[in-house]
Amino acid sequence: MKGGRDLHLVGLSHKSAPVAVRERVALSGDELKDALAGLSARPGVGEVMVVSTCNRVECYVYGEAREEARHFFLSRTHEADGHLYERSGREAIRHLFRVASSLDSMVVGEPQILGQVKEAYGLAASAETAGAYVSRLCNRAFATAKRVRSETEIARGAGSVSQVAVELVEKIFGNLKNRAVLLVGAGKMGALSAKALRDLGADRILVTNRSPERARALAAEIGGVAEPWEGLVSLLALADVVIVSTGAPTYVITRELASQVMKARRGRSICFIDLAVPRNVDPAVAEQDNVYSYDIDDLQKVVGQTHAARAEEAIRAEAIVEAEVMAFAQERETRAALPVLAELRRHAEQIARAEAERTLSHLGGKLDEKGRKSVEAMAQAIVNKLLHGPTARLKEAAASGDSDLPGAAAELFGVGEEEKPRARGRPESDSGAAAHPESHR
Amino acid sequence: MSLQVLRFAALFYAGAVTAYVLYFARPRHLGLATAGQWLLAIAFLVQAAAIGLGCKEYGGAEFFGLRGGLVVMTWLAAGASLVVQRLYRIPAVGAFVTPLILVVLLPTLFLVKKDFPSVLPPEVLRPMVTIHIVTALLGVALFAIAALVAVMYLLQEREVKGKRFGALFSRLPSLAALDQLNQRLVRFGFVVYTVALLTGSGMAKVVWKSAWQWDPQQVSSLVIWILYAVMVQLRHTGWHGRRFALLTIAAFGLVVGSMVTLNVLPDGTTRHGGDYSGARK
Repeated sequence: MKGGRDLHLVGLSHKSAPVAVRERVALSGDELKDALAGLSARPGVGEVMVVSTCNRVECYVYGEAREEARHFFLSRTHEADGHLYERSGREAIRHLFRVASSLDSMVVGEPQILGQVKEAYGLAASAETAGAYVSRLCNRAFATAKRVRSETEIARGAGSVSQVAVELVEKIFGNLKNRAVLLVGAGKMGALSAKALRDLGADRILVTNRSPERARALAAEIGGVAEPWEGLVSLLALADVVIVSTGAPTYVITRELASQVMKARRGRSICFIDLAVPRNVDPAVAEQDNVYSYDIDDLQKVVGQTHAARAEEAIRAEAIVEAEVMAFAQERETRAALPVLAELRRHAEQIARAEAERTLSHLGGKLDEKGRKSVEAMAQAIVNKLLHGPTARLKEAAASGDSDLPGAAAELFGVGEEEKPRARGRPESDSGAAAHPESHR
Repeated sequence: MSLQVLRFAALFYAGAVTAYVLYFARPRHLGLATAGQWLLAIAFLVQAAAIGLGCKEYGGAEFFGLRGGLVVMTWLAAGASLVVQRLYRIPAVGAFVTPLILVVLLPTLFLVKKDFPSVLPPEVLRPMVTIHIVTALLGVALFAIAALVAVMYLLQEREVKGKRFGALFSRLPSLAALDQLNQRLVRFGFVVYTVALLTGSGMAKVVWKSAWQWDPQQVSSLVIWILYAVMVQLRHTGWHGRRFALLTIAAFGLVVGSMVTLNVLPDGTTRHGGDYSGARK
């Protein structure tokens, strides 16, 4: 769609820009509110919403000025140039619907993004930069996301290695309350998983490492307790979940060590999660009763399965998004055709009334009340009969997404010309102006 | 009359089975589990009415035979299952327990023999006999549920250890929850079964003038009791998980085996629904 008011999107995401650029553009809280206020004050900008998460910053502008959104990014950092993507009209609507439905996320189907979009809308609404259009758009986007979640299985399964580890541990131990997690080695992945387990309610996190300084540093970072490496056996007797990620080239947890530990534990279940490459836990330990052991490949395999399953579900989700985008755009275009119709009818009725009055005044008092009424009725009937066909066809055209016909009708019948100034003399806006109700007001 | 009511109860059991199985297939629809629980509760109440009517009609003699015993056992199992659901909220258990209840109940709806013992216990024995029957059947019902939970444990362990993470993995509860439930069912069943054994020998003393007679029923009951006693003890020394689950299933296999063999034995002195003629003397 050319000219006129439309939805424009400019943004960057994990797909288009490295984190170094994303973090320089991202904004939050008051900063975001100021940006919204600044943007909406620009000429040609009707409504604004900015979605800012760690994976994406997107600026949605409803109005004529698509350049403003671009400037917004470039004013924050010039590095953004070359990483930006731009969409307009249906493409922009589709993009927002896909983002809200978590189809554009790094991990497809992850649940946080919908909340983040809702937050962005809430912020724009409270800053009064989101008006009728953005409200309708966002509500439709939320409804779409909800449909995608309930009608497809896109959110099922574990999407990341630490999520898989957490799910496994839950299936073995159930409630994590009163369970102890032991971190052997100071790898980053291990720390992430330990954090995830602590968030799930694991009571104690113990950290041990060959170098005590690193153990202490990591323990401080994740809220655990550093323990000496020499006490590994007694630590293993204590912990229920053991996350191993040392740089050692051989097995740290051998079969013999595990059976020794199981004796000390009197058979209580223990789960080893080996995130190290080369592996640090002998896979043979799992041959013992109540010993569970998973290496990074096992976890990655589940992640892969989840992603494959989600990719399949994503196809169904895309169909839902497409249907919703169509429905939303159609709704809008039907609305867009209505002003032309109203204008047309008003115009025709005005002529009919004027002509009827002229006829009646020519005839003077020769007609009684009944005669006057029939002349007026006849004029109205001619208007109705004449407009019946065009009305039906215009509604049809609008519903099927044809936005040219309303414009053509406006031009053909010569209606809507007095409202021209909004289009600022751009010749191509003649057809566009009629398709957008707002340009008439 | 009581049979009609019992058949009516069976319909509700079938409804509960359907709801629970559907829930197991589509775990996202929690409403199905709730529906299953309500249907099970209604079935339990209707069956209670059927048993009450049966007592009125035949003076309780019906429940001394094998068929009547199974009717009461399914009823107790349903009650125990309701309590378990209430305490642990593991609806998946319903998908395993209710089908078994229905399968055991079905033959009792149609194979109605008037196999009541000709001699009923005299009035002096009545409370003791009732307690004996109810506790023995409840004990067996609890052992049965424990065995089913053990089966669930083994299925889930296969998923978790075998790194399958398939449909069962997400539908079955955690190993810890199943193991704990199994242990509690065995422990409680053992206590109840002990009461049955004590009242049983008390009755034997009255009927046969001796508490111990080397009667096959007595011997097998004692063996079962010792087995479960050992299991309760092993649990204290750290036995749990897979080995305990296997033991639970094996022990219940023995219970079923002894019930079947004792009931097909040629006319012995006592069996479930025994001969109380001795008590008259």
